Amino acid sequence: MRKRIFSRPALICGALTSLALIAGCLPQPTSDKGGLNITVYGFSIMKESLEKAVYPGFAAKWKREHGVDVNFTSSFAGSETITNQILQGVSADIAILSIERDASRLKDGGFVTSDWRTLPNKGILNKTPFVILVRQGNPKGILDFTDLAKAGVRLIHPDPVSSGGAQWSVLAMYGSELVKSERQSGGQNKELALQTLRAIWRNVISTPGSAREARTQFETGFGDALVTYELEGLLMKETGKTPLEVVIPKATIFSEHPAVVIDRNVSAAKRPVVDAFMQYLWSDEAQKAFVKFHYRSGIDPTLNQENKHLAQIETEFTIDYFGGWNRAYPEIIEGIFRDQVQRK
Amino acid sequence: MSSMIPTMRHVRGFDVARPLSIGMLVLMMLPLVFLPLASIFLFGTSQGLTSFMESLTAPEAVFALKLSMVTSFWATLFNVIFGLFAAYVLSRYNFWGRNALIVTISLPTAIPTAVAGFALLLLWGPYGTLGRFLAPHGIQTMFTAGAIILANIFVTFPLAFGVIKPVFDTMSRSLEEASATIGATRVQTFWHVTLPSLRGAIVSGALLTFARAVGEFGSTILVSGNLAGRTQTAPLYIFAKFNEGQIEAANAIAIVLALFSFLIFSVLFFARDWLDVD
Repeated sequence: MRKRIFSRPALICGALTSLALIAGCLPQPTSDKGGLNITVYGFSIMKESLEKAVYPGFAAKWKREHGVDVNFTSSFAGSETITNQILQGVSADIAILSIERDASRLKDGGFVTSDWRTLPNKGILNKTPFVILVRQGNPKGILDFTDLAKAGVRLIHPDPVSSGGAQWSVLAMYGSELVKSERQSGGQNKELALQTLRAIWRNVISTPGSAREARTQFETGFGDALVTYELEGLLMKETGKTPLEVVIPKATIFSEHPAVVIDRNVSAAKRPVVDAFMQYLWSDEAQKAFVKFHYRSGIDPTLNQENKHLAQIETEFTIDYFGGWNRAYPEIIEGIFRDQVQRK
Repeated sequence: MSSMIPTMRHVRGFDVARPLSIGMLVLMMLPLVFLPLASIFLFGTSQGLTSFMESLTAPEAVFALKLSMVTSFWATLFNVIFGLFAAYVLSRYNFWGRNALIVTISLPTAIPTAVAGFALLLLWGPYGTLGRFLAPHGIQTMFTAGAIILANIFVTFPLAFGVIKPVFDTMSRSLEEASATIGATRVQTFWHVTLPSLRGAIVSGALLTFARAVGEFGSTILVSGNLAGRTQTAPLYIFAKFNEGQIEAANAIAIVLALFSFLIFSVLFFARDWLDVD
């Protein structure tokens, strides 16, 4: 008897394989509906405001004025993470970053050739103060950054290696001590600020990759406190899933977020719509949308009065207090935090 | 037979070790495997079936699942063909450097998947060893579906080979020799004699490769660009949704992947016997 080469199971396998072959073509991108497509890489907390308000707002405006659809594709992660991705060649048209240092890195890499400081408000899209989120009733009695150093406090803090928010948080905690000591004694007490930062860091139980990841960990029940952007706390209160309180430190930093065009990736054909979107970001309509999502407008502070949830900050400072990112990163994030806090 | 009696003695009548050991096994698996899986299902359906279905049918979720299936399919196809070829060469011929090749093929098992990811970036990226020559011509492999397939190929490289090679090694060569003596060409012998006896190994190698590729995360997050609806695979979708705090959405896809691997390994469990019976 001739041995059958194609037995029943083999035939079934063959049929399955050919089926898979037919299905083996790549699925159509969800944003590929005709029209223009803008790819935006944003730092972790930008998602809601962009996807729910700013993208639809601009798409409607462009459709009204030009009759063409604009679709957005985006990816959100820690500011340092998306910067590294762009430096490796992801096809981003626009990056919205947590820290200006990342804009400089993109410029040094040759990806950004235009000067974002010539954009409205020196390229700063919006800002927000750094606050402490604690569990409802504030069981650990945390009233200021220094209380995070108390024994038994478990702190969730994003990782400064990948997260811009984490770097703002380090600057907030360290700077807050400097500002307070300066106010009391007339001089910055750098030793006290370092000791405080060290003591706080000993209480850190987890360093997630981005501010949003840190928030998710906090929401799933880990930790007593989380240092993050004010708007994260307000967004969490809105969803109401995790009962929490927002603690406003006596002195804290305002984070300022730049938006940049990745010039190297933007084709001439796409340039007009990308530029129009950049201009739109600073328009009244977009700035109002950001305020609705609890950011603060830097270009038009009067807009901020429309959001009643935004807290009064007793003493505020910015990156300028440290002499800008060019100095703050090597001196504080690397010199103080990495070398004298993390490695001790 | 007499030597059997002492060993049989303690199983006569009711053997208390049987329920005890089975119970112990299940008890050990409970916190380690069963309960974590159960909590995915419990959480995923806690918001009601409609919200579960909504999470499942979100366009980006559907896209992510499709992309995972397609990229894994191509990686599997390649690795099965490659595995077959490599197993054939390495078990038929003895040559200088043969062991080195076998070891190299097996390497991806132990290499962290993140390393696989950045190794690919270093090769194909804009500053990469090869990528820097391709970039000026507008050829970009990284951050596309092609990159995901390359990453999947890398991390699942040894799987199909590992299943097929032992079968080759133990295969009796007399059939092939007989085939040759009655005038069959090499190709005919391979097609009619060698291949049919490898069916079971090929199918299980393919399923194993496919299952592993669908679940791949560490390398894909680095090479895909993680764009929702464009280069985001199902595991990346889960990670992104979890990070965004949309745990229900992450869970829905996690359930699909869990059921999927259950299916694959069930088929794997039964298929080999089924296929080897002709």
